[in-house]
Amino acid sequence: MKFLAEIFGELGGTLLFLKTIMTTLVNKKIRRSDVFTQIWSVIIASFPTTAMAGFFVGAIMTVQFALLMNEFGALGYLGGLSTSATVREIGPLLIAFMLSGKVGAFTSAELGTMRVTEQIDAIRCLGSDPLQEIIVPRFIGIVIASFFLLGFGLIMSIFGGMILGDIFAGVNFQEYLRHIPTVVNPVSILFGTVKCGSFAVVTATVSTYKGFTTTGGAKGVGKAVVSTSVMTMILIVLMDWFTSFIGDIVLQIARGYRS
Amino acid sequence: MIEFKGLIKKFGNRTVLNGLDLIIREGEIVFILGTSGTGKSVLLKNIVGLMRPDEGEIWIDGEEVSRFSEDQYFSIRKKCGMVFQQPALFDSLTVFENIAFGLRRHFRLSEREVTDRVQLALKLVNIQGVEQKRPTQMSYGMQKRVSLARTIALQPKILLFDEPTTGLDPITTTVINHLIQDLSKQLKSTSIVVSHDMNCALSIADRIVVLDKGQIEAIGTPDELKKSQHPLVRDFLAEVLSL
Repeated sequence: MKFLAEIFGELGGTLLFLKTIMTTLVNKKIRRSDVFTQIWSVIIASFPTTAMAGFFVGAIMTVQFALLMNEFGALGYLGGLSTSATVREIGPLLIAFMLSGKVGAFTSAELGTMRVTEQIDAIRCLGSDPLQEIIVPRFIGIVIASFFLLGFGLIMSIFGGMILGDIFAGVNFQEYLRHIPTVVNPVSILFGTVKCGSFAVVTATVSTYKGFTTTGGAKGVGKAVVSTSVMTMILIVLMDWFTSFIGDIVLQIARGYRS
Repeated sequence: MIEFKGLIKKFGNRTVLNGLDLIIREGEIVFILGTSGTGKSVLLKNIVGLMRPDEGEIWIDGEEVSRFSEDQYFSIRKKCGMVFQQPALFDSLTVFENIAFGLRRHFRLSEREVTDRVQLALKLVNIQGVEQKRPTQMSYGMQKRVSLARTIALQPKILLFDEPTTGLDPITTTVINHLIQDLSKQLKSTSIVVSHDMNCALSIADRIVVLDKGQIEAIGTPDELKKSQHPLVRDFLAEVLSL
């Protein structure tokens, strides 16, 4: 019972913190230079890992689809199906896990250290609002950077898929790319983008919340980082299910409206 | 003038400040002494609104501030400069940017004026030529001085020091203690210093307050406290008198 109460307490705290971030974002002036600095640092921090992971996800998806499609003699659609699955589901999920592992943990540790070394109190005493000064720029930075990383990760996944498609299934680059526009429709891209955005909001909110509310010195910072990693992973998976569920409902309504 | 009326602050079941009443007059240097966990730092944080009392009132220059909103506290924080227990410098900024941080947010100054005030503050704490260094490139003692410079650059009416000499060597401790005295005189500020250092308190304080279990156990001038027979005061004095 106590465990459940703690979970709901954490969730409630996170949602209230998101509300505070939104209020600050709307009501207070956020310096553009701070936001751009954050976007840049998130992209730089996650660029190599996203590229590598994107490449291998594309490669793995291609190998898995090639095994199945070879049996049906439909290898021509390999590029289209592999890319569609990556854009809709695996790509955003992958980027979110990358972000939560690298940027989420880093943000939480950085803010936690600022909290326990009284830097956040100092910001308040020096006439500024820590939310406006350090939280909102990080929040926007993580969310916007995730879209750039998603785009880049997807390009790398297509690249990885093309190479493995050629080596593993003998599908040349032209053939691989030919069916991508046929299978990957705007709805797939919209789904992928919405998922990416919602995962980024989860990572940004949890990491800033856990960092901002850190207590208990170095041990507290360690706890905040671990808690951020666990909480973001769980919430990302839950959000994945939720966005798919809502997406299905929206699609059904759209289809009913059209017919 | 700062006045605390029946101040109570609790953390869960633990009462840290237990109905504290105290008046601090304008321009005086008051040392607050006490064993760890007696609510000394909590008292300072209540003045600048980093913590809020559960009960009681805090009056600063005729205004009851304990129920102020975060925005209303802006004007209070402008007149109360706080030096934290840790240097609390922003690692990502240079020394210059650290000191300029509060100046740019509290006042509308030109860049020339900001530079002048940063340099004056660094001169007052006896360090110069470190403007472009990052806090991580400096010793702990230097960081403490920069932290002091960041606070005094705002030229506050009230200076709050939370254990300013903790973790420093005896020589730097003496330097910082003299700085507190000199700065208080030069800026004509009211200073509240939370400390464990009875020796320093006896040499520079106008009044000393000894806290225990969230209440005032003894209060008076250094000379009055030297004559006190209160066991806690005697304990604090024992170390000094044995020197």
